[in-house]
Amino acid sequence: MSAPSSRCTGSGQFLRQGPVSPRPVLRMGTWLSLPVRRRSVVVGAILALGLLVLTLLTLTLGTLGVPLAELPRAIVDPAPGRTEFVLNVLRGPRLITAIATGAALGVAGALFQTVTRNPLGSPDVIGLGAGASAGAACFGLLIPGLIPVPAGALVGALAAMGLVWLGTGRGFSSPGRMILVGIGVSAMAVAFVQFVLTRAGQQEATTLATYISGTFADRQWSDVAISGLTVAVLVPCALLLSRRLDLVEMGDELADSLGGRTTLTRSLVVLVAIGLATGAVSATGPIAFVALTAPQVARRLAKAPGAGILLSGLMGAVIMTAADLLVQQSPFGVQLPVGLLTALVGGVYLGYLLVREWKKGTV
Amino acid sequence: MAILSAAGLRLGYDERVVAEDLSFDVPDGELTVIIGPNACGKSTLLKALARTLKPQAGTVTLDGRPLSSYRSKDVAKRVGMLPQSPIAPESITVRDLVGRGRFPHQGVFRQWSHADEQAVEAALVATGVAELADRHVSELSGGQRQRAWIAMALAQETELLLLDEPTTFLDIAHQYEVLELCARLHREGRTLVAVLHDLNQAARYATHLVVMKAGVIVASGTPGEVLTAPLVEDVFGLPCEIIDDPQTHTPMVVPLAAPTAQAR
Ligand SMILES: Nc1ncnc2c1ncn2[C@@H]1O[C@H](COP(=O)(O)OP(=O)(O)OP(=O)(O)O)[C@@H](O)[C@H]1O
Ligand SMILES: [Mg+2]
Repeated sequence: MSAPSSRCTGSGQFLRQGPVSPRPVLRMGTWLSLPVRRRSVVVGAILALGLLVLTLLTLTLGTLGVPLAELPRAIVDPAPGRTEFVLNVLRGPRLITAIATGAALGVAGALFQTVTRNPLGSPDVIGLGAGASAGAACFGLLIPGLIPVPAGALVGALAAMGLVWLGTGRGFSSPGRMILVGIGVSAMAVAFVQFVLTRAGQQEATTLATYISGTFADRQWSDVAISGLTVAVLVPCALLLSRRLDLVEMGDELADSLGGRTTLTRSLVVLVAIGLATGAVSATGPIAFVALTAPQVARRLAKAPGAGILLSGLMGAVIMTAADLLVQQSPFGVQLPVGLLTALVGGVYLGYLLVREWKKGTV
Repeated sequence: MAILSAAGLRLGYDERVVAEDLSFDVPDGELTVIIGPNACGKSTLLKALARTLKPQAGTVTLDGRPLSSYRSKDVAKRVGMLPQSPIAPESITVRDLVGRGRFPHQGVFRQWSHADEQAVEAALVATGVAELADRHVSELSGGQRQRAWIAMALAQETELLLLDEPTTFLDIAHQYEVLELCARLHREGRTLVAVLHDLNQAARYATHLVVMKAGVIVASGTPGEVLTAPLVEDVFGLPCEIIDDPQTHTPMVVPLAAPTAQAR
């Protein structure tokens, strides 16, 4: 029997060896040890495979698609002309933007739902999407030409979050208040958008309406850069916070007594989530419900406690690419905003969730 | 000087003040039991000792240094607390729940060391929930769940352990099992503070008894010194007789039969 040296004094009972833990652990020396959940790994692998298949379908389907056999060579060294146009202009940026924004929204949703301890928590609930729409409306139609529309959406989203921050009186440390204030801010933003739309001409109104329901049409490499950078910077931050976030799930007192620094953790998590959602929104306009559904589905599949950050991100990317693939191949043409599709599917799912929560008696 | 000590605390929530100028040294190496009527501030005091409630005035010190000057994880390695109503995350197994108690010992890269594993398994065995380790916490009975939470607090491996009503939800046998566990941890050298509601259990197991009323510590000492009929009547408003516990020879509180009950 071996006794670890750092045990409490005289805790004879604690030298007794329990049954061997069945949990596989990834170890390297003493500095790295990560527990691995088999089921989560399997689910992750399946989602990654699904994403790969969706990627291939997006690039190869349809009359403009690059044939599968030519794809590897075309990616490494695209022949100028049609193939290059399809990969570099028509579908490539659109695909990568869809993956990155899907991942960003999935992770943002996972963070929000865990930090609010509410399955319906998402950046949309606190008025981020509505704020972005208002920003786009303001800088797209009311005072056009001052800054680009995506930058306008960014300003709108940040302004809405600023209002929420001020409105709670406690910054981002009280999610319950954030939801209440967010509902108010949303309503204001929606009213503002309506106001702008009534003053706009037919043509402009249609363009704006498309943008504010979220679209991947005509994505540029600049959109890839925005969304890609957002994911590359903020998802690692989310992962660093995730263990503290797991503690917050157990109630503030316990989390604090374990050294989880609840108030700070909560504020940081909300900041990261807002950053992710804002990055996504400024690349594509607000796309409804992905942030809400992706973590939900991921959690159901993995059956694991905690926020499930990586799986939610993967799930978000899968949902988004699938939705965009449907839009691209739909008979209504590529200009159909993808946000309409996610809103339709997500709305049905939200209804299902509400009924379920209602039956459980938590709503 | 006690390792963990509170001096001149004003404790409260926003405007509501629960305790004013409260001082309390946690006696080293003792099993301290706090008793007192509902809402007198027992949980509030424990929260302040475990740094989960910031005092509005006064300081809590650990080894003579203010608690607020430590890194939070360093406090958590030495002082553990099981709150009165912790929340179990959805779809968590008992083993994972107990594993969360290891947080202060872990880092971003070192998330599951051999020491973590041993501490968790030992805590599962000590609380008798090893057979339940792979069950979901949501599927346990109230008593099983309570023991899983205690296991989580044990896995934290702190020299000081604060337990807020660890015997709630337990049947009488399991209550005594948890109390025996506390007594054993105490014998093995830990300092424990537990809030209990059963005065007779408190008298049996406490090596040091603290009585609170309306945010004030009104008496402390060995159960034999402290637990008198006038005190119980004053603090709880319960007329009673104190007799000798035939098993342990500690005081035993026997409430007087209410005259109205006889009339009925
Ligand atoms: N989170 C909180 N916010 C506001 N007031 C609180 C909070 N927690 C406790 N209180 C109030 O503080 C007072 C003391 O509460 P505390 O929980 O310390 O009592 P207690 O002695 O532990 O009681 P019990 O035996 O019922 O657990 C009560 O009046 C209670 O209403
Ligand atoms: Mg209490």
